[in-house]
Amino acid sequence: MNWGTNMADHDKELEHLFAQARDARDVFPDNLAVRIETDAEAVRLARSAHKRRRTWRDRMNVIGGWHGVSGLVAASAAGIWIGFSAPAFLPDPADYFVSQDATYLVADLNLDENYLEDAE
Amino acid sequence: MEDLTSYPNEAHGGFSAVPELSDEELLGRFADGNAAAARLLTGRLGPRSYSVALRMLGNQAEAEDVTQEAMMRLWKMAPDWVPGQAQISTWLYRVTLNLCLDLRRRKRPDALENVAEPEDESASVVDRMQDTERKDALQAALDQLPDRQRQAVVLRHIEELSNPEIAGIMDISVEAVESLTARGKRSLAALLAGRRDELGYEHG
Repeated sequence: MNWGTNMADHDKELEHLFAQARDARDVFPDNLAVRIETDAEAVRLARSAHKRRRTWRDRMNVIGGWHGVSGLVAASAAGIWIGFSAPAFLPDPADYFVSQDATYLVADLNLDENYLEDAE
Repeated sequence: MEDLTSYPNEAHGGFSAVPELSDEELLGRFADGNAAAARLLTGRLGPRSYSVALRMLGNQAEAEDVTQEAMMRLWKMAPDWVPGQAQISTWLYRVTLNLCLDLRRRKRPDALENVAEPEDESASVVDRMQDTERKDALQAALDQLPDRQRQAVVLRHIEELSNPEIAGIMDISVEAVESLTARGKRSLAALLAGRRDELGYEHG
């Protein structure tokens, strides 16, 4: 091999091969494009779901995060329970409305007993 | 959400019609949830990653896997991209090259990086080149180059990047790029000449 005399030919051949390789760059497998786009869609959907979760978390953080939410739920449940089943040592305001004796109420009207009989 | 679906699909040759959207803008829109932006980026950047991976690895299936992984990393880092910090293509080339190196090291764990360039290894590689005669001559010769020379030659003479761009991708000086490409071309020429002599072809 005579490098001195053939160097220009070698360079020319190399440039020709580079040009061929550059032309081949346009070949991009369709299935590869599909694989890449499928990955992109999976990442996009996962990020979208994460954003939705984060939005709820941000809202909860306003009232103190999970501790705040659980405290709020517990307090609400206790309030409802006390409302329906008050401890014995507390006056039950509901008694004023539902456990009054009907006779007592009628007596309060100060009506004559015969009035009721006449009505029948 | 802005709809990009009215733009031509770049993967099928129409992307030059939407030059107003930079890679960075498209990545930002993808990060905001736009699926069409991903299709445009795939058509624009996928072939560049694939081309480099194919020349670095000399194997289509491996090049496809590397390109898919490089693009996956692009999708995942999209929300964290800082506008103006660098070219996305530069980032993608670097990721692709690193993935190629990782793959080659896994396949050849005993391979040494940055091995000294032999003075004239054309005679010793002819036998190996005959084993790869189904590959094109350039690829067979590229496969024999040290990793850094092959990277520089592929980026300069096949991807047609500028020396400063290559320096940014390889994280070396422009002078080092020039040196690597010059040595790489000399090695390629020697390998190709050796192969031609071995096969009994005439010069010229």
